Amino acid sequence: MTLFLGGIAAVALGGLALVALSFRPRWAAAAFQLLVGGGCMAAVLPALRVLSGGTAGELRIRATVPGGDWVFGIDPLSAFFLLVVLGVGAAAALYGVSYLSSESGAGPVRTAHAVTALEIVALALVVTARSAIPFLITWEIMAVLAYFLVVFESRLPDVRRAGLIYLICTHTGTLALVALFASWGQLAGDLSFDALAAAAPALPAGAALVFALGLCGFGFKAGLVPLHFWLPGAHGVAPSHVSALMSGVVIKMGIYGLLRLVNLAGAPPAWWGWLVLVLGLGSGVLGVLWALAQHDLKRLLAYHSVENIGIILLGLGVGALGARSGAPTVAVLGFAGAVLHTLNHALFKSLLFLGAGAVLRATGTRLIDRLGGLGRRMPYTWGAFLVGSIAIVGLPPLNGFVSEWLVYQGLLRSGAMAPARAAVFGVAGLALIGALALACFAKVGGAVFLGQPRSAQAREGREVGVGLLAPMAALAFGCAVIGMAPAVAVSPALRVAATLGGVGRGAAGEAAAAIGPALTWIALTAAALLALVAAGWWLRTRVLSRRPQAWTETWACGYARPDPRMQYTAASFAAPLMAAYGRAAGVHVTREGGAFHTHATDPVLDGVALPLWQRVLAWGQAVRPIQQGRLWMYLLYVLGALLGLLLYLALRAGGTGP
Amino acid sequence: MSWSALLGLAIVLGLAPLLPGVAAKTRARLTGRRGAPLLQLYRDLARLWRKGVVYSRTTTFAFRVAPVVLVVTAVLAACLVPLDGRRALVGFSGDFVAFAALLALGRFALVLAAWDTGSSFEGMGASREVTVAAFAEPALFLTFVALVLASGSLSLGGALGAPLAAAWPSAAPALALVTASLFLVLLAEGSRVPVDDPATHLELTMIHEVMVLDHSGLDLALILYGGALKLSLFGALLVGAVAPRAEIPPAIAVGVLVAGLLVVAMAVGVVESVMARLRLSRVPQFLTAASALAALAVILLLVR
Repeated sequence: MTLFLGGIAAVALGGLALVALSFRPRWAAAAFQLLVGGGCMAAVLPALRVLSGGTAGELRIRATVPGGDWVFGIDPLSAFFLLVVLGVGAAAALYGVSYLSSESGAGPVRTAHAVTALEIVALALVVTARSAIPFLITWEIMAVLAYFLVVFESRLPDVRRAGLIYLICTHTGTLALVALFASWGQLAGDLSFDALAAAAPALPAGAALVFALGLCGFGFKAGLVPLHFWLPGAHGVAPSHVSALMSGVVIKMGIYGLLRLVNLAGAPPAWWGWLVLVLGLGSGVLGVLWALAQHDLKRLLAYHSVENIGIILLGLGVGALGARSGAPTVAVLGFAGAVLHTLNHALFKSLLFLGAGAVLRATGTRLIDRLGGLGRRMPYTWGAFLVGSIAIVGLPPLNGFVSEWLVYQGLLRSGAMAPARAAVFGVAGLALIGALALACFAKVGGAVFLGQPRSAQAREGREVGVGLLAPMAALAFGCAVIGMAPAVAVSPALRVAATLGGVGRGAAGEAAAAIGPALTWIALTAAALLALVAAGWWLRTRVLSRRPQAWTETWACGYARPDPRMQYTAASFAAPLMAAYGRAAGVHVTREGGAFHTHATDPVLDGVALPLWQRVLAWGQAVRPIQQGRLWMYLLYVLGALLGLLLYLALRAGGTGP
Repeated sequence: MSWSALLGLAIVLGLAPLLPGVAAKTRARLTGRRGAPLLQLYRDLARLWRKGVVYSRTTTFAFRVAPVVLVVTAVLAACLVPLDGRRALVGFSGDFVAFAALLALGRFALVLAAWDTGSSFEGMGASREVTVAAFAEPALFLTFVALVLASGSLSLGGALGAPLAAAWPSAAPALALVTASLFLVLLAEGSRVPVDDPATHLELTMIHEVMVLDHSGLDLALILYGGALKLSLFGALLVGAVAPRAEIPPAIAVGVLVAGLLVVAMAVGVVESVMARLRLSRVPQFLTAASALAALAVILLLVR
């Protein structure tokens, strides 16, 4: 625990050093990189120890406020999320140093870096808090710091709007969490997690209220459909390393909260498992569908976070159903899939956002249909983005395949558990999500990096520096390691899963035995895939060296002068799928003379949330006349209230009088 | 690793180019033509092998590596299918997820290669390809779910092996639905009528063919071979589902597979000669019907 606290203290210090040493910018940057990088590495060590079966101490602070002592500690669940927070956090913070160095105004940039470092500290404290009060406080700090990071470019109206929507949503979610802990805490001695867990069996109606409030509060943070509508805006407009941190880590705090809830309250009621499963399916399918509709690279990636939260929820839902139906193997596999996909998504999504940031730095645009041909000019960025794409689509030999395979395992085995057999239909949903994600990343990878540049900006794109490439390489390496040697990540995930839903340690052993040989085969298949592609490439090169090769223009049915504007666009690429899904896809087509325009709307934000807000505003306008600032009117109100009260008392006395 | 599994793999790898020939011959005979020779695809492959290659100046590494990825993923997927009706070379719990994912990786590579040419024809073909795949994938997975439920095994080796043979008598209606659904998926994944027409000559109406318009020589040969191999893999799944043959001697089991593959190819040819291809906007409905059939099978097996 000392090492952990020292590590995050170093991270915080790194953030402050940047501000304190502002008179020596080079020293400040070096100190920041050293302290944040070193601090994250130091703090992750105790987490690794816990995941390999060890223990870490506990920090107990005597509190003078109600709710009991403030406790911080590391259990397997905390440790796993610490990996996510510190690994991705360090990569994003270090990337940020180079990424923002070209921004004008040193002051705001320094502040942004300092806030990023503090955000990492807040995130680390959220996942280690062991009682409700410090949990809620660090949760709020995390949410507010994230707001300041999102509105970095606050001169733009879009950014201010997205920030405001984010702030409203995150506070609505926190409200539900306060209600959750308040209602639960009434039954417990104090608000420490241990006391709450001990009080869980006493919760009325199978803890229905607690689970419902948790799904609402943590669901807002995680961005599940229909509580996702703040997410694409906020993640789209933030600086890219902040988007990476938010999509990779901050929304995962919602998942952490849900898992912690299942960890403390035991097996959830069956309706909750079904609800999570259905919400997961909805988030997954709609998230990827709306992603396909986007024209803005970063908004597209943000919608993919909604999709992946859906996949995580599928695992969580089937795990919850398994825990409730007395099928511990199903429960452990589902939970482990959810936990591992959280880590995997953190790795590949932050990688993709950092790649998108590199594209944005190199070309100055996020519009997919203005890019193209960047693979030639930015080969390393392209390579990193390709790794992220293959991983997020869930294809071998990378990590996305491993966690989706675990979720498939949970879903398939649910067919054997009597009350929750219908969960096997989740398999079809997950397959659809995967196929649509393939379409979407084929669209992005192709339109941005392949073909010919569609604009002058894209033509002038040049490869970015090592300061941006190194963090991407580190994340890509993480994706490859988990994909090629899945056991490294699956066994800790199983260990974490065994602490959830009251399934017990024995179930993890059974699950590990059930999938152990398969993990070896997956590793072998991944290795064979790479080896055979390399061998095939070598053979092909040898054969072709003895054949004539010619270079010419792309075939365009005899048209001799193909032009970059003749290329297929990303919007047309997605059009058949958009047409097949009709209104659910949220695409609006407008015709201006000979030109076709499509733009993507968010059905929930533009269709429900904003109209609802307008309605509330209209009601507000309707009752506005009662506030006119005239003294006689307020006296009249007081008189009316008194009379009403007297009348009420008189009637009540008359009804029940002696 | 048994000799019969290796023999099955060798036979499927060798016979794959025969299947499109059988389908084309059947179609030609039924429509009153003599048709191209049965071994036409072998001849094409040999000719392309000898020829040089032409590359567009727009293309990069992505364009040239895609055919290799396509064939390698198809071969690895073939290793997962129990071709002798017993055990595949590689079999593990949940291996059909790997089967689908490997084929998807090959598709991903080809689609990126299509983007790489910067051609609007190829972009259009790629767009259609991923659309068809997005509708075929849930149907394929639902048939897997039905096979898993019927056989109680989470691996293709078991789901198409002895446990399935034991399940046939009691679950015949559901398994018949699975077979039908699998055949529709085969037509889509193999780029056959009514989803796609390998015999069309107009770029605007093609799907798979137009996606690989700029490939030539050895690259095109690899793509044609990969496509034929994919068709025979789906055929092998179909034969495995209809005729589980773990009880008969391995050599005969492999022989049954070959006969079954020829029957599947003829069936494809019959379909091609009796119906026209669907309008592109109807293809999602066609594949949704395949999903519905498989979902019905799953329901039947769940309430059993």
